[in-house]
Amino acid sequence: MSQLAIAWRLARRELRGGLQGFRIFLLCLALGVGAIAAVGSVRAAIEAGLEREGATILGGDAELRFTYRFAEPDERAWIDEAAGAVSEIVDFRSMAVAGEGASSERALTQVKGIDDQWPLVGAAEFEPTMDVTTILDGADGLPGGAMERILADRLDLEPGDRFRLGVQEFVLMAYLDHEPDGVTSQFGVGPRTLVATTALEQSQLLGPGTLFDVAYRVTLREGDSIDRLRSAVEDRFAGAGVRFRDSGRGAPGVARFVERIGAFLILVGLAGLAVGGVGVSAAVRAYLDGKTPVIATLKTLGAEGRVIFATYFLQIGVLTSAGIAAGLLLGALVPLAAAPLITAFLPVPFAAGIHLAPLAEAALYGALTALVFTLWPLARVEQVHAAALFRGIGAQARGWPRVRYLLAMVLALGALVGAATWFAEVWQLAIGTAAGILGALVLLSGAALALRFLARRLSRLRALRGRTALRLALGAVGNPHEGVVAVVLSLGLGLTVLATVGQIDTNLRSAIARDLPRSVPSYFFIDIQNDQRDAFLDRLRANPAVSEVDTAPQLRGIVSAINDRPAREWGDHWVLRGDRGITYADAMPDGTNLVEGEWWPNDYDGPPLISFSEEEGAELGLELGDRITVNVMGRDITGTIANFRALDFRTGGIGFVMTFNANALAGAPHTHIATVQTGPDGEADILRDMAEAFPNVTAIRVREAVDRVSEALTALAAATSYAAMATLLTGFAVLIGAAAAGERARIFEAAVLKTIGATRARILLSFALRSALMGAAAGSVAIGAGALSAWLILTRVMELSYRFEPVSALIIVAGGVTATLLAGLVFALRPLAARPAHILRAQE
Amino acid sequence: MTDPVLSLRDVALTLQGNAGPVRILRDISLDIAQGETLALVGPSGSGKSSLLMLMGGLERATAGEVRALGHDLTALNEDALARFRRGNMGVVFQSFHLIPTMTALENVATPLELAGRPDAFERAEAELRAVGLGERVHHYPAQMSGGEQQRVALARAAAPRPAILLADEPTGNLDETTGKAIMDLLLGLRDRHGATLVLVTHAPELAARCDRVIRLRDGQIAGEDRRAQEAAQ
Repeated sequence: MSQLAIAWRLARRELRGGLQGFRIFLLCLALGVGAIAAVGSVRAAIEAGLEREGATILGGDAELRFTYRFAEPDERAWIDEAAGAVSEIVDFRSMAVAGEGASSERALTQVKGIDDQWPLVGAAEFEPTMDVTTILDGADGLPGGAMERILADRLDLEPGDRFRLGVQEFVLMAYLDHEPDGVTSQFGVGPRTLVATTALEQSQLLGPGTLFDVAYRVTLREGDSIDRLRSAVEDRFAGAGVRFRDSGRGAPGVARFVERIGAFLILVGLAGLAVGGVGVSAAVRAYLDGKTPVIATLKTLGAEGRVIFATYFLQIGVLTSAGIAAGLLLGALVPLAAAPLITAFLPVPFAAGIHLAPLAEAALYGALTALVFTLWPLARVEQVHAAALFRGIGAQARGWPRVRYLLAMVLALGALVGAATWFAEVWQLAIGTAAGILGALVLLSGAALALRFLARRLSRLRALRGRTALRLALGAVGNPHEGVVAVVLSLGLGLTVLATVGQIDTNLRSAIARDLPRSVPSYFFIDIQNDQRDAFLDRLRANPAVSEVDTAPQLRGIVSAINDRPAREWGDHWVLRGDRGITYADAMPDGTNLVEGEWWPNDYDGPPLISFSEEEGAELGLELGDRITVNVMGRDITGTIANFRALDFRTGGIGFVMTFNANALAGAPHTHIATVQTGPDGEADILRDMAEAFPNVTAIRVREAVDRVSEALTALAAATSYAAMATLLTGFAVLIGAAAAGERARIFEAAVLKTIGATRARILLSFALRSALMGAAAGSVAIGAGALSAWLILTRVMELSYRFEPVSALIIVAGGVTATLLAGLVFALRPLAARPAHILRAQE
Repeated sequence: MTDPVLSLRDVALTLQGNAGPVRILRDISLDIAQGETLALVGPSGSGKSSLLMLMGGLERATAGEVRALGHDLTALNEDALARFRRGNMGVVFQSFHLIPTMTALENVATPLELAGRPDAFERAEAELRAVGLGERVHHYPAQMSGGEQQRVALARAAAPRPAILLADEPTGNLDETTGKAIMDLLLGLRDRHGATLVLVTHAPELAARCDRVIRLRDGQIAGEDRRAQEAAQ
């Protein structure tokens, strides 16, 4: 019989001993794997939903999107010829206005102008129920429209009431409950208003230079393919600034967002698994310590080290598989059970079901984590001597495991980080998280050892004689068998993740609260036509409530090439993604911070020159003299970078990545953008006044936009906190495990203490003090590690300033102390209640 | 005298205690012949169990040479010692040291399995019958009395037919009657298989049943007694 077969037999017999001592092991693995599997399953379900409903989300098999222009008649004719059905959608921001004069109400809305073909795929839902044609036909001789209820409520409108977009009046026919192709616009600036494009012709909202997109959703002709259509579109519209999307990637922005946030939360989940790993390691260590006589007996009977290692490796392997299986069950079933809730909450389709890929990913993480954390204690079974049966000396193996096991641990760790990097795709994030977790573990281990050393020293101080409870507590914390390291590691890592999230969240919030009043304008006005510009500015400046006005021309264009190479070959930088705002200027605008190159002379009329943002330029690897080609309304304009300037988006003022010389763009149709600074009291009056005078101009209230950012931030912080809570929950399980493991020793200790005259209050105080000391140590290190990682993320990744937030930090320490106290005290009850005689007799 | 089964020359054992090195054994030289029964006696802390451990390769001498069946145990590593014990030595402990998760049968079969015997379980069952536990083969240690557990331990030690049987106070945890029964079994096993038996005991009546008695004091051999053998003759 092979040695492995013998080991397997022995392992099976040992496993009959039941799960005693392995509940925490299983709980830790199940929670860690379960959290990752759940996040992964939700992500996979969203991605599957996006893919399954790609055509519905996109509104057709494919889409051709024109930036602020309609297709020319010949272009439209080509589209009609190339595709099956075609639906034309116009999308832009505007102000919806209800009422007249001083009592009028206005709100920002995302307008969707549709034709009679909409929707090509899926169905819209209205309240009250009616078809699209009835909505668009309107009533009382006015065209009709539908609005999301939130917008109608804001304007105090009900079906049958009238509202205006620009100068065109509409009748609100129904509330818009669901638009099938609504996913992609969920991140727009305002709630949706649906009207017929033909009804917008008189609205003055779609003038030349106005910011709007026109999408032509198409279905395929019979027998045609997406690939063929794509290549035909690319041939026909090369250089025309037309973007092509197909139903395979109906919502690339949403898909990217889901993928990134999913990857981030899985990485947070990995921190939970690392905490679980600490518990797993502690459980295996305790189990193997208890097995010392068995191991020694097996050695006496002639078992070699590798048979014994294999015996326990197989046992732990079986238990690991059970823990992982429980975690996968949890991770697969929880999203499935919560599917109705998730579907109702999420704005994107959710294909509930069992998704194997994320489960496999979570299982792999679980197996590798278990391997990393159990190899060390397992390797030491080989070092147990048979002499352990005769005497206590050397019974517990100490020292470093053999090199082959250390090598295996390093390999497993490498595989874990490698897998996380591979799956997360954003390698910097994965490596950063792995380094953060490892760094925190090292820091916490060091802190735990230092605490143990310090406690041992302090317990022997003369000054503590007479303070029995404190001396006993310090002595216990200083005892290597008290599990201080496991408690500080597990709780500390959970608290570190929470502290990091807390510090970042509080810093971002206070940055918004601190900086907003002085630097951010009250309103952005967009779509100011050329002939309106002077009158608009005069009217604003005449208003005594206005303290500052800034304005700039605005066009939108797509960077199509850099140094004659297609832009897509320059990577996935946000400047190259989609269309960007660009502006022009003759003289250098006030406040420009030129860092390299020269501004062009006044009335410069040579080949186009560009002033480029320094930071984005550096990220793209641009240098002075590089040529950028921008497609503006279907026309390519190539300019040379004349200078780089520092740009600070955080001020909220007008900032364009690219500024052309005036003569290069002034002839192109364009509009103007203006920012206005005013006190909170003047905001409503200015909006009413300007909207009355310039109905086509759209006002974006900056505070509302910031509120939306804050809301998004809150949601993100909440999602991260949930993932961090899984980490903390696992940490708490480890804590309970450590407290439970120490219960027998504490029962004996309490019995002896009672025998020599200690009161229960004093014993309880001693138990409470040792818990509090460990909790405080874990909390303190968590604050340090959390502050460090928050500082790194805020200053290095987000490029913001960092300020230590003491309130959030104190809550963390208090949480740590409370958690250890609770766990410690729950397991102090039996020791306190036990009768000494009974305990001490049983020990003999 | 033929080649001794166990031979110790100038053996010393020093262990590292918390308060510094502790000399457990020194200047031990001893030969034990095949088939001999030898009792190690002496007060607590005199080094009896440690000497037994050295003979079994369970402890490594810090000086001197320990040879068993011609092999220098001090030159073998842990795994080689384990392999050596597999077929050549059986050890019985005062505290039985049965594996609690295994039945009596499995406990006895384990050394046979480790030695690669295909008939491990049949042999184990026969061995258990021989010690009077034929009806309890599927019982776990916790379901047995102390005497029964020690009988399982005896069966386990004897099952591979070892040339050397080592017993550390095999009756120390048992009452007088049970202890006597265990000792009868142990000596019976030795007689049946012709093994060499070394046992540590505090009980003079048990020591008196052995061929030779070695008295230890402060880690040294304080005297040797062959009265038992003479009495037997």
